[in-house]
Amino acid sequence: MADAAEFYVGYLRMPTRLAAFLRWVAAGLLLATAAIGWSLSRSQNDPGDGVWQDGLQTFVGRVAAAPYPLIRVPSDRPGKPIETILLVSQGKHGAAERIAGLDGRIARVRGTILERDGVRLLELTESGAAALDESLGPVEQARLATPSVAPLGTVTFYGEIIDPKCYSGAMKPGEGKTHKACATLCIAGGIPPMFVAFDAAGRRSVYLLTDPHGRALDDRILPYVADPVEIIAALERCDDLYVLRLDPECIRRR
Amino acid sequence: MSVGYVTVQWNRHKRVYDSLVGGGVALYLALFIIAGKTLYTGAHAISDEILAIRALGTCAYLMLHVVLCTGPLARLDRRFLPLLYNRRHLGVATFLVALAHATIAIGFYHGFGNVNPFISLLTSNVNLGSLSAFPFQLLGLAALLILFLMAATSHDFWLKNLGAPAWKRLHMVVYLAYALLVLHVALGILQTQRSPWLAGLVGAGVVIVAGLHVVAGLRERGHDRRGAQRTARVNGPWVDVGCVDDVPDRRGMTATVGGGERIALFRYDGCISATTNVCAHQGGPLGEGRIIDGCVTCPWHGWQYRPGDGQSPPPFTERIATHRVRVVGRRIQVDPTPLAPGTAVTPARIEEDHHG
Ligand code: HEM
Ligand code: FES
Repeated sequence: MADAAEFYVGYLRMPTRLAAFLRWVAAGLLLATAAIGWSLSRSQNDPGDGVWQDGLQTFVGRVAAAPYPLIRVPSDRPGKPIETILLVSQGKHGAAERIAGLDGRIARVRGTILERDGVRLLELTESGAAALDESLGPVEQARLATPSVAPLGTVTFYGEIIDPKCYSGAMKPGEGKTHKACATLCIAGGIPPMFVAFDAAGRRSVYLLTDPHGRALDDRILPYVADPVEIIAALERCDDLYVLRLDPECIRRR
Repeated sequence: MSVGYVTVQWNRHKRVYDSLVGGGVALYLALFIIAGKTLYTGAHAISDEILAIRALGTCAYLMLHVVLCTGPLARLDRRFLPLLYNRRHLGVATFLVALAHATIAIGFYHGFGNVNPFISLLTSNVNLGSLSAFPFQLLGLAALLILFLMAATSHDFWLKNLGAPAWKRLHMVVYLAYALLVLHVALGILQTQRSPWLAGLVGAGVVIVAGLHVVAGLRERGHDRRGAQRTARVNGPWVDVGCVDDVPDRRGMTATVGGGERIALFRYDGCISATTNVCAHQGGPLGEGRIIDGCVTCPWHGWQYRPGDGQSPPPFTERIATHRVRVVGRRIQVDPTPLAPGTAVTPARIEEDHHG
């Protein structure tokens, strides 16, 4: 038990030996606070290399409303004559209403680019983001007429259903358990669902998800968003985009 | 004490304590955010909002550990008592930091959608049956509500109106909040965190909090058991509780009598008085207090009572139970049945001729 001289009452003067002890305690606590703050911050996961670019960009190509709003544009990347860019709106909203009336038409879209793992999305600007455009030549228009689709067979993948807007740079990190609520909102709000698959070596690849008939998926996938899952799906290539045709019954939580 | 309620009664120690709490919080948040900004840059930068959510969440979690550890620490070593003295301020600060964490988390993760953020918080994830998918945010919400209840009722006004035992019981719910938060972290960020460091700290925190409580509890149990044995030497209503020489002058001593009730004994002016050990304020251990200005002074927040009748000196009106006491030779004997709070009892004279 402490010395009688160390009895402390808040409204009396603090005994000097006790004050010295408490100064050490306070200094120790502050030091521990600083060390824990720095080291916890250091131990965060790398949030990935998704980038939400500054500045508006304009693309001209053929708009599609299904399975999800997207635009197919001529590309000069080698082996990739056509690039598919997914279209999204502000916040956690899809772009379906923003491209109403443009399905199948050649149009010009404006917005900001989000990019990760070779997939690009365009967040349409608040106003005047999409309009018909006649500037594309007939050769290019013909090139964009129908997507070239190649079935690649049935696959079993391990990974996670993501909302590609956050995943590609709107939120860093924009995946995993802590992001589940947000990803659920995004996908329910019309952002196209995608799947990030991990192979045995931990390498990532991303796929657009549709239902078995190639249409937009419904709410049945929502409970599985952002969870570690295993899926069995039909893989196909659609121009430059890889697509998984998925029956929500074929999702298993791991 | 109860001379009208001001928001908080300030004194120098409280100000030093509060500036330490404020400085510690600022230091922690600054270092967490600076580290996050300098170690994760360019395409790998972490969102500002997420850095803030994490800095504030871990800060509040850390503060809760300090809150929970000061109780047993002060019981094990009285020199920590000053940390207890202002603990309520730390509790309120913990709630405020946690509230900031939750506000940004709800705004960022549940906002910007076509559902009200609070509805989204409650309904976006209903996987209650799965551990890996469990909605950990709801655990945080429950803990935040408990911290709010603690902070809102922390003032002496509530203590007085609920009564000390009910208030104490209410504030024990903080342990439930702690358990919920361990799960909030374990089922949330720890499901994705690759570095084992946070998991290690969370585990160490649980061990420290539980360990300190167990050690302090065992110590008190030992004391109580020794006290229970005293009932054996019953002599009418009188129970022998020790020797007058065990009680230093102007100091107290705690005796436990059968049934586990604790009685505080005080020696002053050549007399022994006995009162309940339980302070009327927050149940502080009066036997560990001292006689200051002729009054029993509680070691926790310094409330005072006259040893002869258990009444606070005017203008205060608090009363505590007293016990009949007598000195036979050098032995102190008390009647374990408490008298009504504020009952005057003749102090037992110590027969000085036995000395030397
Ligand atoms: C409505 C109440 C709450 C909500 C919605 C909430 C939400 C969240 C979310 C979304 C995360 C993950 C952040 C991320 O890493 O991206 C998180 C982490 C955390 N929360 Fe909470 N929380 C709440 C209450 C609390 C409270 C009351 C505390 C502590 C006093 C707390 C402490 C923590 C801690 C320590 C973490 C881990 C930090 C990290 O993610 O690195 N939370 N919370
Ligand atoms: S418990 Fe607060 S003064 Fe005794």
